[in-house]
Amino acid sequence: MNREMQRKANLMLLLFCLPALTVYIIFKLFPAISGFYYSLTNWNGLNPTFDFVGFANYQKMASDSDFWRSLGFTAKYVAAFVVMANVMALILAVAIESRRHLRGALRTIFYMPNMISMVIGGYMWMFIFTKVVYYLADNWHWTFLDHSWTGDPNYSFWSILIVSCWGAVGYLMIIYIAGLQGVPSDLKEASKLDGCNSFQTFWYVVRPLIRPAATICVFWTLNSGFQVFDVIYTLTGGGPGTATQSVAINIYEEAFKGNTRFGYSTAKSMVLFLIVLLVTLVQLSIMQKQEEDL
Amino acid sequence: MRRRTYRHVSVGYVLVDVFLVLALLLWLFPLYMALLNSFKTNGELFTNILAFSEHPTFDNYVRAYQKMQYGRSLLNTVFLTALGVFLIVAFSSVAGWALCRTKTKLSNIILKFFIFSMLIPFSAIMIPLYKIVTAFHFRNSLAGLSLIYAGLGVSMAIFLYHGFVKGIPYEIEEAALVDGCNKFQVFFHVVFPLLKPITATVVITNALWIWNDFLLPLIVLSDRKTYTLLLSTNTLFGQYSNDWTSILSALILSALPVIIFYLFFQKKILAGITSGALKG
Amino acid sequence: MKKSFAMLATLVLLAPLTACTNTQSGGETKELNIMMSFPQYMEQWEAYCHKFEDKMLKDENIKVKVNLEMPTSDQYETVLKARLQNTDAPDLYTLHSNNIAEYNTAGYLTDLTSQPLAAKIYDDVKAMVSLDGKVLGVPLESQAWSVLYNKDMFKDAGITALPKTLTDLRNIVTALEAKSYTPFMLAFHDSWVPQLMTAVTLGGLVSGKVTGWVERMNAGTGSYNEVSAIFDAIDLIMAHGTDRAMEEGAEAGSADFANGKAAMYVNGTWSAGTIFETKPNFNLGVLAMPVNDDENCTRINLSVSTTLAVHPNSKNKDLALKFANYVLDDNDSSSLFEACKFNPIATCHHYEAAAYVSEAMEYVEKGRSYKDLVLPSAVTDKQGKLLQEYYQKTVTKEQFITTMDATYKDAIAK
Repeated sequence: MNREMQRKANLMLLLFCLPALTVYIIFKLFPAISGFYYSLTNWNGLNPTFDFVGFANYQKMASDSDFWRSLGFTAKYVAAFVVMANVMALILAVAIESRRHLRGALRTIFYMPNMISMVIGGYMWMFIFTKVVYYLADNWHWTFLDHSWTGDPNYSFWSILIVSCWGAVGYLMIIYIAGLQGVPSDLKEASKLDGCNSFQTFWYVVRPLIRPAATICVFWTLNSGFQVFDVIYTLTGGGPGTATQSVAINIYEEAFKGNTRFGYSTAKSMVLFLIVLLVTLVQLSIMQKQEEDL
Repeated sequence: MRRRTYRHVSVGYVLVDVFLVLALLLWLFPLYMALLNSFKTNGELFTNILAFSEHPTFDNYVRAYQKMQYGRSLLNTVFLTALGVFLIVAFSSVAGWALCRTKTKLSNIILKFFIFSMLIPFSAIMIPLYKIVTAFHFRNSLAGLSLIYAGLGVSMAIFLYHGFVKGIPYEIEEAALVDGCNKFQVFFHVVFPLLKPITATVVITNALWIWNDFLLPLIVLSDRKTYTLLLSTNTLFGQYSNDWTSILSALILSALPVIIFYLFFQKKILAGITSGALKG
Repeated sequence: MKKSFAMLATLVLLAPLTACTNTQSGGETKELNIMMSFPQYMEQWEAYCHKFEDKMLKDENIKVKVNLEMPTSDQYETVLKARLQNTDAPDLYTLHSNNIAEYNTAGYLTDLTSQPLAAKIYDDVKAMVSLDGKVLGVPLESQAWSVLYNKDMFKDAGITALPKTLTDLRNIVTALEAKSYTPFMLAFHDSWVPQLMTAVTLGGLVSGKVTGWVERMNAGTGSYNEVSAIFDAIDLIMAHGTDRAMEEGAEAGSADFANGKAAMYVNGTWSAGTIFETKPNFNLGVLAMPVNDDENCTRINLSVSTTLAVHPNSKNKDLALKFANYVLDDNDSSSLFEACKFNPIATCHHYEAAAYVSEAMEYVEKGRSYKDLVLPSAVTDKQGKLLQEYYQKTVTKEQFITTMDATYKDAIAK
């Protein structure tokens, strides 16, 4: 290709990409870049004027106990969520795939919560946690249920986790099923003939082959786990106090409630972005390396 | 035939069945409880929360329908989702195709640009985006909101289209070019119809995302006339948190459209989700 | 795919027709943009705006189109502030009377002293919306509140006098419990409800004993240590309250209170709507929360929450002022205020106030009231959150005090 043709090709390319690039730059790229700029100012979202304050907002974070608390909560949540959701999804996928009948129907039902918003699902669970559970505790004397499932942080951590898993497992399950279906059946038959039991077949034959699916699922749960908002917002609102605040909720409150410190809250979101970026990059490189090692 | 069935029913098989049934019950429990209690009166609800209603009533649904301005909210959500998905498909199909077919340094840079940005979390851009919303007078504008969705959604869609176009032989397009079509005609008449499978994936994943998104409408829409189904439900919850029967019927009402849609198109939806996830 | 594409395109083209029906016709139509913070009274106010349009057309032959917008209350202030600094500021808007000074310095309020409406407002209410003798807003919702109580339960427990001191209140609690009534309704799910406990205890203590505390806090020299006595009252409430408080929202609390779950509820008269909706013949009373054994600290909270302001840079300022005056119109205002269950605030209001309102006003007439304390919103927000944790016992009194001192310093620093 000569220069002239290349220029013409680039011009055509830009023309075709123009609508996409325009909305993308205005609504994603520009906010992301200006977000970094605002994080260096004391803008409160209201005053037309604000000052450049350098890295003062980032320094302030160091002594912001609420932010650290939300970070700690999010880390704890992500760790539990990634493990629980993936294990449940994989078990369900294997169980459903081992059936002879009703596979389609089971898939349909388990995926259903993913179709409805977590706000709706969250409120449905709210009914379970604030009314049904107490009904069982009072009338059936299931006293192990008699706890404050949305008010006591020790228990609401678990209710948040249950609801997020309920909303996410269907999606992961679908991906694992696709991975399982990609395992050639003659391989499984062969291992059976070699005297492997079902578990051994799964561990030595199937598991290595569904690693790509696992990479996707872990990546997705990590990413969405760090940004958790809807479930907590509907279930506990981050309370009592700030005990169940995730970083996303902390940022939202900093920006839109009380002080409305936009500059400071964008600084926090930059930190969240870096954490997500770092963690997912590490995860992808580790898991891809494992895939290659096989 | 009969003997075969006998041979295969082992203890393990039954145990897995039991497990699946239990899991199924747990999965449907919230939906079932919401549905069951949405037909009760408030008094009946607390006397026996687990039983069927003795005098089922539709009053709750009528009340919820009015309080959450269901008709208007549904229309708003449909409009927002349709326009948002339309823009994403329109913008990214042609861009993904052009990026794949143009083999220059620039195309490589633009593609990388889109892919990298998929990692930026929404909360990192939320606040500056809020400023843009006010500057553009997009507050309370559903059309404006759908443009924002387009901006946030194109990168993933372009990535999917780009990957799909790679698998289409270039000869087909060449033939059309030789026949005297210009590039636009080639895209609309030849390429776009071939993109049907991946367009289905893009439509499904993005429609679900926009339909169920909460945070962005929450900060952009403040006028009740422009509320989406989710925002109306959320408001109802704030205002009538004591009236569980109304709330449960409101939850059922706002979940209903998407569940009906799902039951009709479940094969397509599940296939679309799978290919979206595996390629993404 | 083409077909569905075409369908989508049609939808997209058709939808704007259904989405924006409020296109105006005719060149002379004047638009008036109004923003208000109480969506629960949407219908009443929309009807009132239509009345205003008709009146303008009939009396002055001006075609007016009122655009009334009501964001949800938790979003309202963010939206309003964003609007005010942009070019699309509303002609009229509501604000909390506590924020009048702040908005006045920013230049967002119009002096209404010379308007006909100013002469109609009762003096004690007028004081709440005035600054340096200038009337800066039209009061809409005014309340005298502190603790709501169930008169029937009090009577049944043989309680004849309302508490004047914390000791009196302790005796009342004992009397109620002897009749196996739960003394206090606790609804702590929404953090603004526990916050009300700090509002009434701080209010009483600061106006009766620890005077000048707010000024010292704003100057950065005060501390919550000075007012740590509020915990005597708060501990009493929490120790004798209903179970499962964290699961109970504000509305649910009002409904349960109406259904007799508890005898007292620290909440404002704004929840009367829910209470009477749940139980139309509920015997509601209002008493002042005692903080200590100093009678002088037992006072009722007097506040004007929602106030209507006229933006000074309104494009149709004459019309906006006409609307502001129409809100206190001699003929039409009374029925509007009554329909919204607002208290009468001006001479043009001729309806009978509810019994519980008169009871609360008795405190005011005896001079036993104080003007709602004006604290930074970040501070009140944090107070509510910390009280949730205090209830869950994850935060101690000492931690509450140190955290609140830090939060206050932070809020005045910006």
